[in-house]
Amino acid sequence: MYTWDYFVQELVNGLTLGSVYALIALGYSMVYGILKLLNFAHGEVYMIGAFIGYGVLTVSGGAVDPMFPIWLLISFMFIAAMIGSGLLGVVIERFAYRPLRNAPRIAPLISALGVSFFLQNTALLLFSADFRSYDTFSLDNGTLFTHGIHFGPLNISLIRIIVIVTTAALMVGLALFVSRTRLGKAMRATAYDREAAAMMGIDVDRVIVITFFIGSALAGAAGVMVGLVFQRVYHFMGFVAGLKGFTAAVVGGIGSIPGAMLGGIFIGLAEAFSQGYISTRFYDLIVFGILIVVLIVRPTGLLGKADIKKV
Amino acid sequence: MKKALVLTLIVAAVAATGASAVTKGSAPTASAAGAATTCTSGPIGFMGPITGPVAFLGKEQLNWAKFSVESFNKANGTAFTLLQGDTQLNPKLALTVGTKFTANASLLVTTGPAGSQEVIAVGPLFKRKTMPYISASATNATLTQGKYPTFSRVVGSDKAQGRSDGLFMVNKLKAKKVVIIDDQEAYSTGLAASATAVLKANKVSVTRKSVNQKVTDFSSIVTSISDDTNVVFLPWQVAANGQLFAQQMQEQGKTAKIFGSDGLDSGDFTIKGAYVSSFARDIHGLPGTARVIAAYNKKYGTKWSTFGPPSYVSVQVAATAYKAACSDGKATRGELLKNIRAVKIPHSILGITISFDKHGDVPAAKFYVSQIQADGSHKLVG
Amino acid sequence: MTDQPRIGVDSWVAEVEERREAGRVRQAFERIPRSARFGAFIAAAAVVPLLSDNEYVIRVGVDTLIFGLLALGLNVVVGFAGLLDLGYVAFYGFGAYSFALLSSDKFGLHWPAEASLPVIVLAAAVTGLLLGLPSRRLLGDYLAIVTLFFGQAFVTFVTNGDRVTLLGHSGPFDLTSGPNGISGLDPLNFFGAEVQSVQGFFYVSLITLAVVMIVLHLAAESRTGRAWKALREDPLAAEVMSIPVNRLKLLAFAFGAGVAGVTGAISAAVDGAVFPDSYDIPILITVYAMVILGGAGSLSGVVLGAITINVSLEVLRDANQARWLFYSVILITLVAKLRPWPKLVAVLASLVAFGYAFHALVAAVWPAGTRGQAAGGDVIGRAVQDWVIRPEHHATLIGNYAFVALIAAVLALTLMRGVWRTVFLVPTLYLAAFVWENRLDFEPSVTRLIILGALLIVLMNARPQGLLGTARVEIG
Repeated sequence: MYTWDYFVQELVNGLTLGSVYALIALGYSMVYGILKLLNFAHGEVYMIGAFIGYGVLTVSGGAVDPMFPIWLLISFMFIAAMIGSGLLGVVIERFAYRPLRNAPRIAPLISALGVSFFLQNTALLLFSADFRSYDTFSLDNGTLFTHGIHFGPLNISLIRIIVIVTTAALMVGLALFVSRTRLGKAMRATAYDREAAAMMGIDVDRVIVITFFIGSALAGAAGVMVGLVFQRVYHFMGFVAGLKGFTAAVVGGIGSIPGAMLGGIFIGLAEAFSQGYISTRFYDLIVFGILIVVLIVRPTGLLGKADIKKV
Repeated sequence: MKKALVLTLIVAAVAATGASAVTKGSAPTASAAGAATTCTSGPIGFMGPITGPVAFLGKEQLNWAKFSVESFNKANGTAFTLLQGDTQLNPKLALTVGTKFTANASLLVTTGPAGSQEVIAVGPLFKRKTMPYISASATNATLTQGKYPTFSRVVGSDKAQGRSDGLFMVNKLKAKKVVIIDDQEAYSTGLAASATAVLKANKVSVTRKSVNQKVTDFSSIVTSISDDTNVVFLPWQVAANGQLFAQQMQEQGKTAKIFGSDGLDSGDFTIKGAYVSSFARDIHGLPGTARVIAAYNKKYGTKWSTFGPPSYVSVQVAATAYKAACSDGKATRGELLKNIRAVKIPHSILGITISFDKHGDVPAAKFYVSQIQADGSHKLVG
Repeated sequence: MTDQPRIGVDSWVAEVEERREAGRVRQAFERIPRSARFGAFIAAAAVVPLLSDNEYVIRVGVDTLIFGLLALGLNVVVGFAGLLDLGYVAFYGFGAYSFALLSSDKFGLHWPAEASLPVIVLAAAVTGLLLGLPSRRLLGDYLAIVTLFFGQAFVTFVTNGDRVTLLGHSGPFDLTSGPNGISGLDPLNFFGAEVQSVQGFFYVSLITLAVVMIVLHLAAESRTGRAWKALREDPLAAEVMSIPVNRLKLLAFAFGAGVAGVTGAISAAVDGAVFPDSYDIPILITVYAMVILGGAGSLSGVVLGAITINVSLEVLRDANQARWLFYSVILITLVAKLRPWPKLVAVLASLVAFGYAFHALVAAVWPAGTRGQAAGGDVIGRAVQDWVIRPEHHATLIGNYAFVALIAAVLALTLMRGVWRTVFLVPTLYLAAFVWENRLDFEPSVTRLIILGALLIVLMNARPQGLLGTARVEIG
């Protein structure tokens, strides 16, 4: 168990998980930064993204004999899921959060809980409780799994490499978007001070819609990735992943984009190493313990800024 | 005035629903005390995981149960009905369904539940209310050791399954190093324990691990399986988990053989070259089953495996006992329990004689090991 | 309409104004002293087990009382003190598991109820205090996260607690029997008298409910209660007024946890067993829905919310009764919301006419579209046979698409105004009936959860104070 390849294998497991959590955490952080709202329904958006990917796969003839070459198929799945999830996020914002923008903080939180529960069970109604499988194993005769880096006892499958690399690309893209474009600047301004941004002529509503769209699209991408690597898609998957993405966002500093990325990777690695070295059953508790410790020692998270309230 | 109208409507609606609920609840009591002709038109309960993580086999069990009731009614001129309760393999839901069933005075017998942990959950309640229940798939050994006097089953006990699985691994697979991973439920830990005992007695090195049924990623635990392991034994209930586990093993280049118990004997688990044991064999090709199979396929389709036929037999036993009890015009639960234990079906569609010992087990029940072939079919190997 | 917060009015004034605006019935009702109303309620509840000898119906009553207790406890945390506690059901589970460990064959302990219950209340309260400690400094959202995690941690712990490594104990130790739960619990045993029957459970729960309501009422009227209210309305101002905010938060947690703990113990005794996933998110959402519907902050409100929701959920289990409920709710909502009455009559008439016309049309063009089976087949089911469309084949698939279409239609409806809204209401209602008859009525266990989620969303948007809560006020 204490061999170097065991360590690297767990490292890769951790990075794969961490990529997924980072993408989900980004959505939470971005929305919280702008609206100071914890979007509980975010996990469900991720779940719908995974189902959309599954839908595209089925429509294209299924994993065993798809109509398109594998690279095209996967790209379609990603694009469809990202657009679909993004739109869903926008709809949720418009109807469940916007009317409550001036209500006391507890109201949109409860509304978010309601949306989360509603979406989970709508998915249960529409798709039934059966697990759907992306059956990635059958795609192209399993090349995604059997190819990859094989170095002595080490076996890193291609699909995990794809996930890690794609996530890195998306995160770099987001960082560039936020720092270099006008819209990104508008997002940062709105997150800093909504009223002042409105006074400077920024269309706050539009910025919020775009934030939700991007955050949800990233979650949708995460959903497809999980479907490809872990192959299991079911109505309840959003809850657990949402919780972990949550933790990641909080640990990294909620409201901070680099914080969400860091937090995601951190939580992913923590989970993998806990499972591998400590306990295969209590690793969830260990992750929770990390959250508590971080909140006690550094309440604003690793990269968060202290929120100074003016009275 | 408007508010008064709304209030009256609400009260009326509540009263109507309340009245219908209450009368519906007490109606069965009236009919149970009714004439002799209604004795053979009583309900037979069915508790199974119709939805949930193993809905696959729950629906199969349900369809075969329905088929069994229909066939029995046609052959015997009775009019039994099937009353369904969905337990989703969840012991709490099983208890809820069990409470509903025992409160229904006209329900004298039920088949199921499917999972051993569910049987344990409803045990005390069914014992208190003397409700006989016949499971078609609960195999934990402790269920027939006296704690559940009203329980019977038409399949074998895990003590036997664990032993036969362990011996298969030793003799046919020549295993020297085995990893056993249980899923924490009663069924799984029982099997794991009996298999461990046999393996250890044969000088095989056994490592025990444990995961929860709800885990969706097994990468880390797969990583921890050492490369010189011969066999990984998965006495799991959820076949989809087994499938994922096996795929992740292939992903990480682990070459150990996978051996699954009857939980993995389902359409969700299709790993080429893996072994599964099951408490029933594929009844295709057994003498005398062709007609039954054809009739079933016509009505319910051809997608079924080994979970359906035991369900058929359990309903058959229940209906036979019920009909016998109705010979004097009325039946009680205690009467049915006695009759169930006295049932004898010499040529059941499972290929064995169904008769019960005083604990509720079928002594003739066996376990079968098969290997999954390239085309997905199961080939009997032991 | 009192669902918008009113600027510049404080809550006492808002209450008085609401009372004055209320109709004569409400005023007459309010004139009855509180204690008399309370007594009447308890007396009415006590009569319920005598109305039916069907055990299952009484069992539903017991469950309702238990939910009422849970709602009361949550009300202290959310309604009185304004803290969003998402791990509340963990205390419920804690109480249940403690009872299971103290009064079963598991460790051979068989404490009588008069010993175990007070211990459990105390232990739960202390646990609530401990949870509150790291949360003192946390703002609302962080508190929600931490409590949510605590709830999940509890479920994970009891699910995996069958192999706990304790120091000084060789090998793993079975604390909670893992996912199988602990069964074979002793019945409640008060000073030698065992409570075995469902009626007994009912009265035990009712007495507990009455006691808890009285205690909480006294707490709400006391200085502590007023301090909680101040904390809820504006924590910063409260702190400035030298109210010990942190201590109050801890106290609220402890109270809520204590109530949940005793409820858990009673619930475990009634079931005779405890299972890990009975204390997870769906129960949390259900209790939240009850508190929100009834009105956070109002004791009678949350109990009313508990009764309404639990009875509705039970009714939804059976297809025929569910249909009664569905159509009654639609009718009542229409009557309550559509003014003036000519509009109401117009909508109802056109809905009925539209239905029959559409049905006739479909029957003529595509006969298989109307021959499907209804779930259950009683009076209403047969009455609407010619009104609603039931396709014979692919009902599930069409129903699914229709469900998505219905969601879109309802959302679009919220965007419309005036005449268009009324006109569009008719086909939307018909579509809702279609979805109900073809899809939702067949799957009661999922439908009830969908309705709960939708209820939370709608309540927050339309009437955040629920049935009996007071409207929230914002200063400036």
